[in-house]
Amino acid sequence: MDPLFMACSYFRRRKFQLCAEICTALLEKNPYDQAAWSLKTRALTEMVYVDEVDIDQEGIAEVILDDNAIAQIARPGTSLKHPTTSQAGGPSPAVRPMSQAGRPISGFVRPGTSSGRPGTMEQAIKTPRTASTARPVTSASGRYVRLGTASMLTNPDGPFIHLSRLNISKYAGKPYLAKTLFEYIFHHENDVKSVSLFHQYFLSFSSIKLFNLAALATEHSQFKDWWWKVQLGKCYYRLGLHREAEKQFKSALKQQEMVDIFLYLSKVYIRLDQPLTVLVLLKEGLDHFPGEVTLLTGIARIHDEMNDIVSATEYYKDVLKQDNTNVEAIACIGSNHFYSDQPEIALRFYRRLLQMGVYNCQLFNNLGLCCFYAQQYDLTLSSFERALSLAVNDEEVADVWYNLGHIAVGIGDMTLAYQCFKLALANNNDHAEAYNNLAVLEMRKGHHEQAKGFLQTAASLAPHMYEPHYNFAALSDKVGDLQSSYVAAQKSAAAFPEHVNTRQLIKQLQQHFSML
Amino acid sequence: MPEVKSMFREVLPKQGQLSFEDTPTMVLCKPKLLPLKSVTLEKLEKMQREAQETIRQQELAQREQQQIQE
Repeated sequence: MDPLFMACSYFRRRKFQLCAEICTALLEKNPYDQAAWSLKTRALTEMVYVDEVDIDQEGIAEVILDDNAIAQIARPGTSLKHPTTSQAGGPSPAVRPMSQAGRPISGFVRPGTSSGRPGTMEQAIKTPRTASTARPVTSASGRYVRLGTASMLTNPDGPFIHLSRLNISKYAGKPYLAKTLFEYIFHHENDVKSVSLFHQYFLSFSSIKLFNLAALATEHSQFKDWWWKVQLGKCYYRLGLHREAEKQFKSALKQQEMVDIFLYLSKVYIRLDQPLTVLVLLKEGLDHFPGEVTLLTGIARIHDEMNDIVSATEYYKDVLKQDNTNVEAIACIGSNHFYSDQPEIALRFYRRLLQMGVYNCQLFNNLGLCCFYAQQYDLTLSSFERALSLAVNDEEVADVWYNLGHIAVGIGDMTLAYQCFKLALANNNDHAEAYNNLAVLEMRKGHHEQAKGFLQTAASLAPHMYEPHYNFAALSDKVGDLQSSYVAAQKSAAAFPEHVNTRQLIKQLQQHFSML
Repeated sequence: MPEVKSMFREVLPKQGQLSFEDTPTMVLCKPKLLPLKSVTLEKLEKMQREAQETIRQQELAQREQQQIQE
């Protein structure tokens, strides 16, 4: 069989390694074989391809030295960093756990949301020490590079294409090679700088040609190629030049309306901390593409991040009307029902996910919790057993044990609960919630000193949670250490201003102090 | 639903003994539903794991070679 045909077939069947091997053999015979070269580039790209719309990872440098936001002190409700605290209709932190960024935890994680946005420099630097939320120093040193280096190391002859030796102008003239080469450099080598040079060269190159009267209709369409503008915008975005990226995307949007471009633009506005603009933009996109699921999801995510859970749920429901197998929408609505005290309905959503074929630790853990709170006790423990057997890393195991601890508390088996929380800590030493709950159990046993230690650990690990602060305040108040009780109560009030018991405690303490 | 709330009022007995004690207790952290991972995130994690694995194997191979040379 013709080896090139074979390689094409492998490529179609997504066996990229085999495809690349055949192409390498072909290229050894004839280094100028453009078809083989192009195919190999595409195969190597596909191996590490990640959808650029979804990926968004901010490094410490970007987060801390962030001067992209237009308003540094934004009015409430217009910024993603300071979402409205009033929790419009959403569950309070007394019911729903908070993420590190001070938002209610979501039912779904994406690359951008996996580790929240730390509020202070101190927190940002501290976070990478815990294994679960390693954050690169800058996004340029993040995942992109690591993936690229690994694929390079496995090649004994060094990289496939030496970028430094590449004669970009030569390739820019050949549009079919240029596109594959661009994608290769962008995804595989992650060398944004040369890519964007390449772009500018390409655009200027074609524009020179365009001004040349001899330019043919093909070149004319080349300069009009919206694709290149989008790619240039992507490069600008990665380089952190958000305004330039915006310009490119807008210009591309004028030429050709694509869902992708709307999503890229919304990414730019999110970086600029302009959630309301994103909403307007995505709604405009919905006018052109009615019922487009990705746009609807985008709107729902913004509402979700602004703590407007009610509107987010509305949009997630719209998503489900269009696509009733959308995992993100089902998971978010399900978790919402769970935290608004409707575990039976949440159970139906998660069961739907199970029917659709999602089969992982998280789902079984959620099923187990929903079953327990919906009083379907027969399924609870078997779900958790499944979850434990499906867990892929220690953090997941820890979370499952932590939730099992709640089941044990629920059935009143304090010894089991104690063991569960201990197991959670054995698997993940930074599990602040487990520390807090252990402290509560220790208090019930009357071990004040140990409880105090656990609470202090929990508070230092997760200053965004109000529980350890409040518990510490209550404990100190009990033993007569009013000063530290007051300090902790203040922290608790800062984390959750509406908490009634904290307010009462503070009032009581203030009365004590005024009496002195 | 405000209509429903107005229908049912709380009833506190006015005669006889009424004891009411509110003791603030320690708060447990709430059970945590685990967020499901998006396809992209799972793919990224898988690729990262594989990349780390290949690097580790290569380092092992290198070390073995060095040992043989010594």
